[in-house]
Amino acid sequence: MFVQFFYRLRERGVPVTPTSFLRLQKALALGLIGSVDDFYTAARAILVKSERYFDTYDQVFAHHFKGATLEEITDVDLTDIAKALLEEWLKRPKEMAEALGLDEKQLAQYTPEELIRYFLDRLKEQKEAHHGGDRWIGTGGTSPVGHSGSHPGGMRVGGASRNKSAVKVAMERRYRDYSQEGPLTELQMGEALKRLRRMIPYGPRDVVNVDKTIRETMRNGGEISIVFDRRLTDRLKVILMIDNGGWSMDPYIEIVQTLFNYARSQFKDLKIYYFHNTLYGRVWLDPQRHLRPEAVEEFTRRDPDTRLIMVGDAAMAPYELMGANGSLYVGQKESRSSEERLKFLARIFRHAVWLNPQAEAGWGYTWTIEAIGKIFPMFELTLDGLEKAVQHLMKRH
Amino acid sequence: MNPVGEPSRFRGAAKYILDDELAKIVNVSIALEMPLLLKGEPGTGKTMLAHAIAESLAMPLIALNVKSSMKLLDALYQYDTLTRLNDSRFGDSKRDVSNIGEYIRMGKIGQAFVSDCRTVLLIDEIDKADTDFQDDMLDVLDQMQFDIMEIDKTVTAKNRPVIIITSNAKKDLSDPFLGRCNFHHIAFPDPEMMRMILNVHFPNLSEGLAKACLFTFYRLREFRGIEKKPATRELINWVRALQADPDFDLKTVENGEIPYLGVLFKKSVDLSLAIQQAGRARR
Repeated sequence: MFVQFFYRLRERGVPVTPTSFLRLQKALALGLIGSVDDFYTAARAILVKSERYFDTYDQVFAHHFKGATLEEITDVDLTDIAKALLEEWLKRPKEMAEALGLDEKQLAQYTPEELIRYFLDRLKEQKEAHHGGDRWIGTGGTSPVGHSGSHPGGMRVGGASRNKSAVKVAMERRYRDYSQEGPLTELQMGEALKRLRRMIPYGPRDVVNVDKTIRETMRNGGEISIVFDRRLTDRLKVILMIDNGGWSMDPYIEIVQTLFNYARSQFKDLKIYYFHNTLYGRVWLDPQRHLRPEAVEEFTRRDPDTRLIMVGDAAMAPYELMGANGSLYVGQKESRSSEERLKFLARIFRHAVWLNPQAEAGWGYTWTIEAIGKIFPMFELTLDGLEKAVQHLMKRH
Repeated sequence: MNPVGEPSRFRGAAKYILDDELAKIVNVSIALEMPLLLKGEPGTGKTMLAHAIAESLAMPLIALNVKSSMKLLDALYQYDTLTRLNDSRFGDSKRDVSNIGEYIRMGKIGQAFVSDCRTVLLIDEIDKADTDFQDDMLDVLDQMQFDIMEIDKTVTAKNRPVIIITSNAKKDLSDPFLGRCNFHHIAFPDPEMMRMILNVHFPNLSEGLAKACLFTFYRLREFRGIEKKPATRELINWVRALQADPDFDLKTVENGEIPYLGVLFKKSVDLSLAIQQAGRARR
């Protein structure tokens, strides 16, 4: 039974090692685990090494030890429920009234907004998950309220988790917020970008260099002569170029903003430039891309060790990238194509990446993404993508 | 000393509220002699747990606060070359300059190893150090011994310490590291739990004030755009501030006003955002 559980976890992508599984056996052998509840906590502590997998663990556990069905990873939105609720209400006011514990007349007085409010309040009162009954909000039951086939634990109502059986706790899926699909926060971004730094001696000489001190003292015939060094400080130069124009970047504003905020607070030597869709003759220091332009040629004068991070969805019409006069703006005469400009930048800065907020799965459908991906190594703007990008930026070449 | 057959059990300490789940995990880890890795938001009591374990098992606590520049050797031992150099030059100390052993000082891990009784070893904020440090340290903790190169001596742990490691990182630590630890993620306490925590710190807190404070506190945590959300420590300080204010009236909090916002929000950006949103909520 446990072996099956182990393989089930692996199948669902939780990296469980055989060693840790043996350790769990040892814990069982030592008599440390007396109940399913104990098993739930102990097995999780021993087998699962990241809160990102806690949610999957909960699902597998619930499935394995209760036979609760593993749900497809679809999210039930409260608004969806609210919508379904309204539809239901319009169709069968009588049943609705019963389910909510009101009589029909009362119900008729509610406006749709009030009804949803009431419904949500009820949801919060409901302390335990409810399945298959004929009242309340639950799954697969005959209750008219709720989303058919959806998992109530997914909504994170209730919250009180003490004094419940492990299977029930597992079914609550308390950790779904930590699972990998969640949005990228500034904190996570910070973790990923932390590696992006280069320590060089800087500042006053205030650290004793023991080796040199000993050598100097010997040279001095035993007369002590202490040698001081500078401390190591982070002096990495970073240039961030952000595509802030056009509706195609709109859905990603928040995530780019997060990256921007983090970068501004963390990197000591950071320049931020803006462009629209792709680069032409110049980039701008002001977000309106109007007042403070800087010619791309000027970048040859920068330290070639600077890390260049481009952020954009790289989606545009092919001629914008390839045409010598591809710029969207009238009056902006160009002698070289944007592709050439990008190649030019990639030649100046050895350490450069392109971060794309669009999911990698969709890249194949846009021609320009592929074309730009050949010039700059392209990474997804997600936790994993950022980590890979940082690895690439810190590589010696 | 406790033989393995009869492990000392951990049940929580006076100033620390322990949930059942965590207590089980701590006990399993002690019995399996595995380090326990704790992750979670700041303010969920990761560091406090180690203190509480030490207190309840009556073992001394040795805390190693990891810094980004730290090398593993610093945590094991230090060879105080400068003092030795000084002694050899001036020779006015009682130490024997020809004996290097007299210039070896134990680091925190070293101290835990040579201690005569079993200790709780807290390795705080391991994520600050680089990966090599982490992996090498786990080797040492696995084998329970390390070598002092200068005097060619092996230090072996007299008693295997109870090891608690904390990490603030959202990012995972390396696989070999994780493979050797038990893991737990401490979720942010829910209001009920928080109420118990408040009770421990303020035995005479009135029900009304506690309720109003908790309500406001959890509302504040939901404000948008806040970089550093107020945590347990901020809540406790805030309640303390409210209690210290002689003019404080419970009604103000109940009416949605929030005095001493600065106690809860430490960053100026957060504070101004909070003031904005608090103002909007009241209207």
